[in-house]
Amino acid sequence: MEVSVIGNPQARICRSELVYRELGFRFGSEVISGESRNRVSFRSQISKLKEIGIRCSSRSVKCEAIISDQVPFLNSTPKSRSLESVKLFVGLPLDTVSDCYNVNHMKAITAGLKALKLLGVEGIELPIFWGVVEKEAAGKYEWSGYLAVAEIVKKVGLKLHASLSFHGSKDPEIGLPDWVSKIGEAEPGLYFTDRYGNQYHDCLSFAVDDAPVLDGRTPMEVYRGFCESFKSAFSDYMGNTITGITLGMGPDGELRYPSHQHDDKFSGAGEFQCYDKYMLSALKQYAESTGNPLWGLGGPHDAPTYNQQPHSSSFFSDGGSWESQYGDFFLSWYSSLLISHADRVLSVASSAFNGSGVSVCGKLPLLHQWHKLRSQPSELTAGFYSSNGQDRYEAIAEIFAKNSCRMIIPGMDLSDEHQPPESLSSPESLLAHIKTSCKKQGVVVSGQNSSVPVPGGFERIVENLEDENAGIDLFTYQRMGARFFSPEHFHAFAVFVRNMNQFELSSQDQAGENVAESLSIGSGTGAASLQAA
Amino acid sequence: MSTFPIEPLLHHSSLRNNSKIYRGARGLLPCSLNLSSQFTSKKLHSIGRSVVGSRTSLGLRSSNHRRSVAIRASSSDTAVVETSQSDDVVFKENFSVQRIEKAEGKIYVRLKQVKEDNWELTVGCSLPGKWIIHWGVSYVGDTGSEWDQPPEDMRPPGSIAIKDYAIETPLEKSSEGDSFYEVTINLNLESSVAALNFVLKDEETGAWYQHKGRDFKVPLVDDVPDNGNLIGAKKGFGPIGQVTNIIVKPDEPGADVQEKSSSDLTKERKGLEEFYEEMPISKHVADDNSVSVTARKCPATSKNVVSIETDLPGDVTVHWGVCKNGSKKWEIPAEPYPEETSLFKNKALRTRLQRKDDGNGSFGLFSLDGNLEGLCFVLKLNENTWLNNRGEDFYVPFLTSSSLPVETEAAQVSEKTPKTNQEVSDSAFTNEIITEIRNLAIDISSHKNQKTNVKEVQVNILQEIEKLAAEAYSIFRSTTPTFSEESVLEAEVEKPEIKISSGTGSGFEILCQGFNWESHKSGRWYLELQEKADELASLGFTVLWLPPPTESVSPEGYMPKDLYNLNSRYGTIDELKDTVRKFHKVGIKVLGDAVLNHRCAHFKNQNGVWNLFGGRLNWDDRAVVADDPHFQGRGNKSSGDNFHAAPNIDHSQDFVRKDIKEWLCWMREEVGYDGWRLDFVRGFWGGYVKDYMDASKPYFAVGEYWDSLSYTYGEMDYNQDAHRQRIVDWINATSGAAGAFDVTTKGILHTALQKCEYWRLSDPKGKPPGVVGWWPSRAVTFIENHDTGSTQGHWRFPGGKEMQGYAYILTHPGTPAVFFDHIFSDYHSEIASLLSLRNRQKLHCRSVVNIDKSERDVYAAIIDEKVAMKIGPGHYDPPNGSKNWSVAVEGRDYKVWETS
Repeated sequence: MEVSVIGNPQARICRSELVYRELGFRFGSEVISGESRNRVSFRSQISKLKEIGIRCSSRSVKCEAIISDQVPFLNSTPKSRSLESVKLFVGLPLDTVSDCYNVNHMKAITAGLKALKLLGVEGIELPIFWGVVEKEAAGKYEWSGYLAVAEIVKKVGLKLHASLSFHGSKDPEIGLPDWVSKIGEAEPGLYFTDRYGNQYHDCLSFAVDDAPVLDGRTPMEVYRGFCESFKSAFSDYMGNTITGITLGMGPDGELRYPSHQHDDKFSGAGEFQCYDKYMLSALKQYAESTGNPLWGLGGPHDAPTYNQQPHSSSFFSDGGSWESQYGDFFLSWYSSLLISHADRVLSVASSAFNGSGVSVCGKLPLLHQWHKLRSQPSELTAGFYSSNGQDRYEAIAEIFAKNSCRMIIPGMDLSDEHQPPESLSSPESLLAHIKTSCKKQGVVVSGQNSSVPVPGGFERIVENLEDENAGIDLFTYQRMGARFFSPEHFHAFAVFVRNMNQFELSSQDQAGENVAESLSIGSGTGAASLQAA
Repeated sequence: MSTFPIEPLLHHSSLRNNSKIYRGARGLLPCSLNLSSQFTSKKLHSIGRSVVGSRTSLGLRSSNHRRSVAIRASSSDTAVVETSQSDDVVFKENFSVQRIEKAEGKIYVRLKQVKEDNWELTVGCSLPGKWIIHWGVSYVGDTGSEWDQPPEDMRPPGSIAIKDYAIETPLEKSSEGDSFYEVTINLNLESSVAALNFVLKDEETGAWYQHKGRDFKVPLVDDVPDNGNLIGAKKGFGPIGQVTNIIVKPDEPGADVQEKSSSDLTKERKGLEEFYEEMPISKHVADDNSVSVTARKCPATSKNVVSIETDLPGDVTVHWGVCKNGSKKWEIPAEPYPEETSLFKNKALRTRLQRKDDGNGSFGLFSLDGNLEGLCFVLKLNENTWLNNRGEDFYVPFLTSSSLPVETEAAQVSEKTPKTNQEVSDSAFTNEIITEIRNLAIDISSHKNQKTNVKEVQVNILQEIEKLAAEAYSIFRSTTPTFSEESVLEAEVEKPEIKISSGTGSGFEILCQGFNWESHKSGRWYLELQEKADELASLGFTVLWLPPPTESVSPEGYMPKDLYNLNSRYGTIDELKDTVRKFHKVGIKVLGDAVLNHRCAHFKNQNGVWNLFGGRLNWDDRAVVADDPHFQGRGNKSSGDNFHAAPNIDHSQDFVRKDIKEWLCWMREEVGYDGWRLDFVRGFWGGYVKDYMDASKPYFAVGEYWDSLSYTYGEMDYNQDAHRQRIVDWINATSGAAGAFDVTTKGILHTALQKCEYWRLSDPKGKPPGVVGWWPSRAVTFIENHDTGSTQGHWRFPGGKEMQGYAYILTHPGTPAVFFDHIFSDYHSEIASLLSLRNRQKLHCRSVVNIDKSERDVYAAIIDEKVAMKIGPGHYDPPNGSKNWSVAVEGRDYKVWETS
């Protein structure tokens, strides 16, 4: 009776081959120890060595090692700034965790993360929604879904950057916590409101930051509780897997008023959002204190609506109300609220996460439309203003500096030439402006792309990252999902990452030969041990 | 106790931090430290001190854990360090190592009668493993060796259907203490099951176990004439001769048939008898052993004395060197050396360990200079088997007074402990990743074996990345259904219009399929076709699809054997080249029919299975996919569906791809083919096709991705998005490097025309419902080919309605293909008119179609605002407006207008 084994057990082949492989390395080190020393000296492994990850991570490091072996030889290509120092993160889908605390498309995310790890991506950005975690009742936090994601990220050997989002999202639809919405129904003053009384339900008004509107607690207290709970729930990951935290500062997490709510490609000037109860009362108080009580009854009457052209009414035109004394009064007040909101949120964050080994970040918008107009209406309606034509971003940067926070600036993929000329847009000059303001204040800038892919985006990102002046060392690419992994896009992305890692498929260099040699020493042993096995 | 689980096969670069935990020789109080990651306790336990230099080796696991341990061991990651009372001990650790060993056991098969008509078949195995029986049945009257799925009531719980021909059922221990794994199948003798076929698979190792290179086959009836005879010949039931693959009386020496009882014949199934058979099997399993190392400082001589002992059986040689000056570079120490030491190439020393008196293992003592920093070693069991410490050398540090790292290192370790513990808790997940990355590493290391350079390794990693990304893409996409169409359309827009791409040619191509299922019969098809070259050119065809040119087991050419032998039933290679030249002369490009999914073998392997190739591409069984047990491939699993009649080629193998690329380029060069028609592309990943297209740079390429449309209760569904999505997915996987036949359009036309349901021809968005509605530039529309029509007629277009089909595809976007049989038929002149209209009006694969009417009995559309068409019996006239429409072609139930 004869039974035969067919098909070789793969795992076993691997086993023996790896035995040889490791031995091969050792012998390699005997023979040409100089070269083999090199193998451990590339950039990312050193950091990995400190952290004892699971096996998988160290093994992925190995794969990466093979890729990165090329690094020294490609350094010689003249570049204005080496991109190797830039850590690349990729954002997970907004709906990574469903409002039932499940991880959506877990399998896809796992596969995706492995692909990114192999590609040499440093880490992952995970959007964590207030409306998911603290959905049911105040102080009742449910982190399980996000913890599961953190665990996957860690196992795959990637870093994690958590974005604590105190806003809602339209697509996918994620609201504020149910209990907050319930309070909001009874107390509409919680929400930003425009002059027609339309409320913006995806974010609380800055004017209630310190008002005890949430069952006797202020939103800031609630945010602080959220941060503390996050810190303790993720304590095992803080400082090792989790390397950064972004605090949501307003609509879509960005520090701004919800002045543009309709996601049109070509939008208008935007609208001032100062008509909720608390805003109006703050405005009134401010007007009275500055001796102009009549100015405190409402916002500008001659401003255009969301999608109207700035010139369609007089407020933003040259010599229009925005340049008047009233304009200065209103805009100063309006922007001061934004700045103080930024200060409150960032100090909550920095006090909560101080000493936990993570960097704290906040995100600004890149309101590049109408930037070429003198009034820069998009920025004004969103709350960026400074009297006497001074730098509109310096005060903000100062707040970031004071709280030792990093600033995330999106839109690093945008270039002027791809903007419709009629929008008078200039993402490039606005970005340069904000970067300069940050540099002046010593604020470290991290980059992001805009959420919608744009032509020439990757090239523009590389240009921005190579910019010596800004010294951007962290870039988060938004965002994983079907489009991200579609063949057209993923291919371009992979090329982008390889360029950043200076990893190219060139085989002509010496390194390749050396590696091959040291390995071939091992291969004899390997083949033999396979037979023995 | 100091335990350090090691696994030689896993590389662990971070290990060094852990393994260098030691204490200084002086200045420290003895302490005891035990860190264990195997339990979830986050506290650091301090345990009793142990006697230094204990001779007992601390084997961690009994050998019956075997293989499963290999992976579990990976989760325990912490060095457990023990320092002892005795001041002179500077290092002590116990490493566990793993050895691959051959374990022997048996497979048994038992047929038992429970009641009169109730029989049970039990299959069992005595070796540990994750056993699966992969089985199917043959029914009475089946002739071939194909399997069928067994009736539902025969499938034991836990069974999983594998495609449509087999079942997989796990073997389980009948009780915890039981050492056998088995499965029992209740045979339903009411059904017409004639025999049960199976093979065994060990999921742990991926190994298949067969019987004499064939399936195990248990015959259950004797009233089938064939079988009856055989049983008669063998006297009753029982093992039957090789001729029919049936279990035979063991003829291998040493095989042990314990028992073979025969009971009375049952009347219903004459000859069916109870039996019990055993067959020996062997399996490679990993065995755990340990190596314990103690280093002491001898105060008298200030020498370091290292003792190495192990329970590894047999001769063990220590291959070692010493370290100086802070480097781990191996150096040869000064003499004297221990006994049985030899110098190995001036780079290392080899010392054979002495056998212990009790026979269980061996040990050795090494006395070394006090000023050395450490000892490095690996173990050699025999010429071919080496053991190391999880990819690193074993390293024994000797402490000098200057370095006293115990406290700091210990602190580090304690920090790490909780983390490690967590990892243990979720080891299943980890294992999965490890396996995957390990598989990747196999690829990589197998490359190294072939001394290929780094580039290929990188390419390999990139491919792995692409595969993972493709997986992520398919899942994400399936949850965002609206995405696909838009993205495809967008991608479309981005492409420059005039560029020639291999999927589309110029965009104005019209294909002619230049053969049918009978074309091989004359033996001179190439020559016959040549004579029609002028006619085909004048009809307006721009591309001709020729039959598969290679030597083939079947005369039609779709069972290729030697790819470089281009003498086929269609003619010789010279006739082929001549034909291609002739068509080029009349301005027609020529497509070769490339069968890349499968290839027939030249030789049998040692098990008698045909899976070794000959000719110029003399691949072995690594070129065959592993997941079709009939061909015993040693490649990877198939990246697509399997075609069961021949060995499916494993395109994930580099050498295979390299050879195929070379072959395609050779065919371009030698024969002069301009592009490809790719057979059965469902069988392998589209990304490989991209690779092939990139290498062979065809002018035009089209793949046959043919699967079934969706039906509900026998009625074709209106929405065939899932079907066309699969085709679009394939095209996408090729990055658009090849187009695909628009099977969706053909299927919908079938129903629309046959049942007079013309409303089907507009999708919910008012676009054509086939691939042509989503990605027209990559859709090759057709109504018939050699498989669907001709003399095979697997899926024939509704008779008499062919011209309506042509009126549709020859006016619509996409690249139309006309079947040879239709051209040379009564439809000749009507087709000629449509072709000439298409060329005259310059309709192309990206033309814009506006559907004007899609009702029960009529479908009408206007294309590029210059051609109007209607099919169906209903009435339609193009809109009166600024345009002046005149009838261009007219026939039964169709009409086409053009603007003049």
